[in-house]
Amino acid sequence: MTAFNFDKDILSGIIGGARYERQNKTENDVEIPPAFIITDSDGAAWTIGTEYVMHNGEYEWNVLRNDVDTGEMAKRIVYRRGVVCIFGHYGWKRFSRSRRHFI
Amino acid sequence: MSREFSVGFDGITLSGTGAVTLVFVNPAAAPKPNLEFLRMWVSQSAAATSAQQRVEVETQVTAFPTLTTATPRALKPADTNASFIVGGTAGAAGTCGTNASAEGAGAKTVMFGDNFNVLNGYLWVATPRETVVMPAGLASGIGLYLPTAPSIALTNWAAGMNFGEV
Repeated sequence: MTAFNFDKDILSGIIGGARYERQNKTENDVEIPPAFIITDSDGAAWTIGTEYVMHNGEYEWNVLRNDVDTGEMAKRIVYRRGVVCIFGHYGWKRFSRSRRHFI
Repeated sequence: MSREFSVGFDGITLSGTGAVTLVFVNPAAAPKPNLEFLRMWVSQSAAATSAQQRVEVETQVTAFPTLTTATPRALKPADTNASFIVGGTAGAAGTCGTNASAEGAGAKTVMFGDNFNVLNGYLWVATPRETVVMPAGLASGIGLYLPTAPSIALTNWAAGMNFGEV
């Protein structure tokens, strides 16, 4: 883990126990995969985990936010107009403004 | 059922100032299991500057890269069996390592290449029919490789591969 940077404007998140710092949130329409990380406006780091299920021959993986499993499975995580969106066999879901769940 | 393992590193300063093999895995001799590669990733946490970076997945025959030894970690911690692949510095059959300090003279064959923005990192995950299988006894190892040196800081890089023994 990298040294802590005492800069209140730095966005910082965690993936795999490692701290990821960014000056800016991720650009629009960045998609995991093939991207590895999405940094949202809170600084949270999003990626997919190693747990998976298969639907119609395609994998869906667990969705991780700062190394915490959100309880959602998705084929894609997309950062769209400042909102983290996930896509799976259920269609699209958006991360709620309360930062608690996908709707 | 296969057993899955992960080999990689994080928070590492890349060894070379040029091209570098990030992770290298060489299957063991038969009758040890074949290796099925499920996921590979590269990212960095040092630089906040946008830059594009090439990446390749390639195979390499001897002479293999000179590596930092790395032991595969079980993705199922309850599985007490260790991987048949062990850590090694020479890239020899049945070993794996990371962050090459020398690339070795062996010819590399590019399996596929891609490019990514260093702010977003690179994640490759295979659909069921796209997994890469390295059979036991193959003369080549597989490497996750940066064919050009990053234009940003070489500090705090992370990379890895997940594979199953099948």
